[in-house]
Amino acid sequence: MLRRPRSALVPVLAIAALAVSASAALGSSVITLSGATASYPLLELLTAKYAKLNHSKVRFSLAQGGASVGISDVAAGKVDIGDSSRGPLPTDPGGLDFYEIAKYFVCVVTNKANPISNLSASQVEQIFEGKVRNWSQVTGSSLTTPIDVESRTSVAGVLTTFQNTLLAGGKVASPPAATYASEGQEQTAVEKDPNAIGFLSDYFALNKQINAVAYNGIACSVANTVNETYPGWSYFYEVTRGPAAGPEYKFIHWIQTSAAAKGIIESNWVPLTITKTVSG
Amino acid sequence: MLERLRRPWPDHRAEFLLGAVACLLAVAIVAMVVFVARGAWPTFSHDGLSLFGSGGNVDTRIGAMQNTTRNPPASAYAIHAWPLIYGTILSAGLALLVALCVSLASAVFIVDFAPPLVRRVMGPVIRLLAAVPSVLYGLVGILVLVPLTANHIVTTEQRRSVEYVIPLSGGVAVTVVLLALMITPIMTALITDALESVPRPWREGAIALGLNPLRATIAVSLRAIRPAIVAAAGLATARAIGEAIVVSMVSGGVSFAPNPADGTIFLFEPFESLASTIIRNADSISAPAIHSTLYAFAALLLFSSLILSLAAYLVRLPLRRYQSTS
Repeated sequence: MLRRPRSALVPVLAIAALAVSASAALGSSVITLSGATASYPLLELLTAKYAKLNHSKVRFSLAQGGASVGISDVAAGKVDIGDSSRGPLPTDPGGLDFYEIAKYFVCVVTNKANPISNLSASQVEQIFEGKVRNWSQVTGSSLTTPIDVESRTSVAGVLTTFQNTLLAGGKVASPPAATYASEGQEQTAVEKDPNAIGFLSDYFALNKQINAVAYNGIACSVANTVNETYPGWSYFYEVTRGPAAGPEYKFIHWIQTSAAAKGIIESNWVPLTITKTVSG
Repeated sequence: MLERLRRPWPDHRAEFLLGAVACLLAVAIVAMVVFVARGAWPTFSHDGLSLFGSGGNVDTRIGAMQNTTRNPPASAYAIHAWPLIYGTILSAGLALLVALCVSLASAVFIVDFAPPLVRRVMGPVIRLLAAVPSVLYGLVGILVLVPLTANHIVTTEQRRSVEYVIPLSGGVAVTVVLLALMITPIMTALITDALESVPRPWREGAIALGLNPLRATIAVSLRAIRPAIVAAAGLATARAIGEAIVVSMVSGGVSFAPNPADGTIFLFEPFESLASTIIRNADSISAPAIHSTLYAFAALLLFSSLILSLAAYLVRLPLRRYQSTS
């Protein structure tokens, strides 16, 4: 009999907790996002700034998992916005709208012990298409060992961008190229192997542990992508089911137009020059 | 309500509840098989037996599947999975061989030869090792073992000899070492338990008849626990076959079929297994053809674990008479 009051307390507490969370949800709107790992660092900064500017009236729930995960999540209505590092594909579910929010670029990278400063377009093609297989055949390298080409699994958005831009539509030959499931793994492979060459998106490529190679004499940098001389770039997209509306529209519109968002994008990525929407 | 639950249960009610739980398990397994088979059906029906064939490049094929349509034609499903099936059997088989030798030796040592103090420490340590999450082994592999083999063990001449075909890095050797490390503790723990259950008089009798202790262990104890060894091997192989994380991190990233005829470099040749291919491409599972292909790989894995437990059961049948009954 002594136990009674305690067990009666449990449902009371549960109802109280529900009431508190319900009132919190009514007071502010929550935008849920999931998708590309490549754009996650940028979205993390953008959502934090937007929430702060709106005095926490808008809250975000941000998850990563890959561009295709974000796209199928938003198509299924599991999230409000999907983040993508690639444009629409014919295998994507229908009825989606893709909004460009920023540009990113892809650098050819080598190990610190093999600090090549520049590769021509034809050299990049020959190396990644498996025609040149030894560093002795590459001018600018002092190595005489076979080249270890590091690439991504064939479904990766960064691979698509690399092949469409720097390889001019050519394909990375695998084998001999080894393929990795994530950018982090490819970065580790290039960092640990002096004979390695690979390609990484700007956020992973521009760090001190790795050597970013210039392409046709143009350095792989934010500045050269802004002035449109460096060709290896693509868009980050926000994806909504049907045209964006309500709080999602306000958020995407804020990213595309506000000075605050532009400042954040400029820190590591490239802001848009012209904003247009692509329908999926 | 709670008061009634606290009272001892009548037999028939307890029986009913326990039966229901057991049935739930069976239903869950059947549901899983149906679910996987349904997902895999388009691939099985369009590819038929050519799914098990060799030729073509698995990674390129999966990439091409992403660029088909929401309703892909039959030709979009074409894929030859032999390199993956072979890679799975090869890595799990070699790992099992290594693990079997090591775990038998260490179990015999722990039970019959180790001083009591060592024995008291080793038991819990091995159980602890058996519980280490596999991603940890993967990290050790990608950060230590793969760079070590690629930079110091594989020679430039070896790399040059196959430079137009495949990259040589961690490959078969590193994967097998890590898989063996992963499954040895669980096998050792199971074999140790079995050895401890062998009635002491059996082995002592053999020693009294003039066998030295090691011979007595081999002739009596190990013979007696053969069913347990088979069971341990079956369990460990199932874990090695299904291991995705470790393999995808260290196996070399090319769906190649390593050839033992290549000599030493066979050990460093890259491969992918069924499980690692699933995890490497899971990101794009929303494309229908990739969805079905990955489910087909999952179905093959499910089927092989079924065959494995059936085989372990069949091998154990004639060994039943050795089972200790104390």
